[in-house]
Amino acid sequence: MIETRESNAAALETIRLMKQKRERNKFITNIFIYALLTAIALVFIYPFLWTVSTSFETTGGVFEFPPNLIPKSPSFRNYVDVFALVPVARQILNSALICFIGVTGSVLIATLGAYPLAKMNFPGRDLIFYIILATLVLPNEAGMIVNYVTSANLGLLRTDVGKYVAVIAPALGNVAGLFLMRQAYLSVPLELLEAARMDGASELTIWRKVMLPLTLPTLSAFAILQFVAFWNTFLWPSIVLQGDRNLLPLSAGMLDLSSQFSTNTRATSAGAVIMILPILIVFLFFQRYFMRGLEGAVKG
Amino acid sequence: MLHSRESQTGIVEGFVMIANTEARVGSRTRFWRNILTAYGFLLPTISFKLLFTFWPIAFGIYLAFTQSNIIETKIVGTQNFRELFGTAEFAARGPSPYFYEGMLNSLKYLMCVPVIQFLSIGLAMLVNRQIPAIGLFRTAYYVPVVTSLAVVGFMWKGMYDQHGPLNYILTVVGLMDAKNPSGLLNNSSYALYAVMLMTVWKGLGYYMVLYLAGLQSIDRTLEEAAVIDGANRWQVFWSITLPGLRPTLLVCSLLSTISAIKVFEEIYVLTGGSSGTYTVMYFVYAKAFQDFRFGFAAAAGLVVAFVSLIFGLINFRLTRGNQT
Repeated sequence: MIETRESNAAALETIRLMKQKRERNKFITNIFIYALLTAIALVFIYPFLWTVSTSFETTGGVFEFPPNLIPKSPSFRNYVDVFALVPVARQILNSALICFIGVTGSVLIATLGAYPLAKMNFPGRDLIFYIILATLVLPNEAGMIVNYVTSANLGLLRTDVGKYVAVIAPALGNVAGLFLMRQAYLSVPLELLEAARMDGASELTIWRKVMLPLTLPTLSAFAILQFVAFWNTFLWPSIVLQGDRNLLPLSAGMLDLSSQFSTNTRATSAGAVIMILPILIVFLFFQRYFMRGLEGAVKG
Repeated sequence: MLHSRESQTGIVEGFVMIANTEARVGSRTRFWRNILTAYGFLLPTISFKLLFTFWPIAFGIYLAFTQSNIIETKIVGTQNFRELFGTAEFAARGPSPYFYEGMLNSLKYLMCVPVIQFLSIGLAMLVNRQIPAIGLFRTAYYVPVVTSLAVVGFMWKGMYDQHGPLNYILTVVGLMDAKNPSGLLNNSSYALYAVMLMTVWKGLGYYMVLYLAGLQSIDRTLEEAAVIDGANRWQVFWSITLPGLRPTLLVCSLLSTISAIKVFEEIYVLTGGSSGTYTVMYFVYAKAFQDFRFGFAAAAGLVVAFVSLIFGLINFRLTRGNQT
């Protein structure tokens, strides 16, 4: 009896030691993991830190060996400079306008188009769905060229309004958004719709009063993804607007700034900070929506 | 009893028949109205897709057989392709300058694809754990994805500067002469790889999120069961995690294969096509928007489309595995 109790105690002691060892191992693993995570984070974040630091630095060389991230005499002078070099305020407004029309338009088109694909029965539905699906993988390398030729032939490139139509329109029909919304609509219970239809609600009313409120999280996710896309796109706007500084959105203006004033790295980095800031704010605030949108886009 | 049940079914059938005929009376107008409503909802989507996806493909193919500077367009048959590949009357001139060089560089860019998959799967596995502040790290890895290439290009020009931070690291480890450092982007043997590094850096977070979603959809009990059965980590990864990620791998590698062959914007913002970084889509862009030879550019674009289709298919066959 005593013997067993002793061996029991010994066994318990071993278990306790093992547990302790495991805890210690886990602790060491966690330290290792955090170190690794931090090191990788530094690789991703360093270029941003460098840009912010450069935008506030006003003396010394832009680059130093070894690199120094703390500005010696920080000031907002580079920001004042960049506003003097290019019409930044104007370009921010241009970007805001493009984003507003672009996001509203593409959300409207996707939320409308996804509704019959998810919740209505009509001939040709599956065919249309698969044709739209195919556009995701169809190679369209000459797309920008044809869009340019089309815009020119339609006379869009002659007026400022026309140019903006040409900048925004090609990006309005967003297939990923359509699938995202369709996926969200599919999860709305059919009974709700049937009840509304029984009450004599038109499909448009059902869409507006039932579907949109119930799928608001997905809708927001898509709207945020589109905002980032419209804010960041630079190539097509700079082709259509042909370097007219007063018409360029900030993204294209940024490219123009870094090529035209390539010697003025500090003013350019101030411009870069202005360019990133809204995206960063939106991203940090709506991060949850972001991930949901991305994951949904793959599953859809 | 049997009789009554039969009569019951009869009654039900009767009701169904009545309901059906009643529905049929008003159903024709309802049928057409339903179709009209459905297509009304779809009208914006269909028209935008027609105008900006299908029309560009169709007109692009037509354009490839013409000479066009927008003001006038003239059908010239396969002349653009003959000029591109340097056959028939263009045999003496050889293939169009920089076309093959560009194509070769675009194919070299495919090296990014396995690197991105490998690193982003690793990254996804690293951040797929419930520990404090893990969200912060995920965010940090994702920030480059939401940053415009216009900004990213500027930042990386700084990173690669003659006296920039990357060269500092290279001098510290002794790979670069500290007294006379040279920018990697001006060096034609490294510049393309330098641009690739930026592409990997910018894209990793995106693929990480996709793989993370893939990892989280794998049944945890499978992995646990394997561990109990004595499988080591490597075996668990090979026989459970990786097969579970196959659908994600298929999508991700296809996406990155297509964008590798079409790579242009990264080159445009970082080197402007200098130092041996000229890619085939740069060629297409330059022919269209610098030389204003839209027909010739469309022909080159068509060739690129064909090549990316082939590599897309190859990629699909490679990642599909043994599933049918």
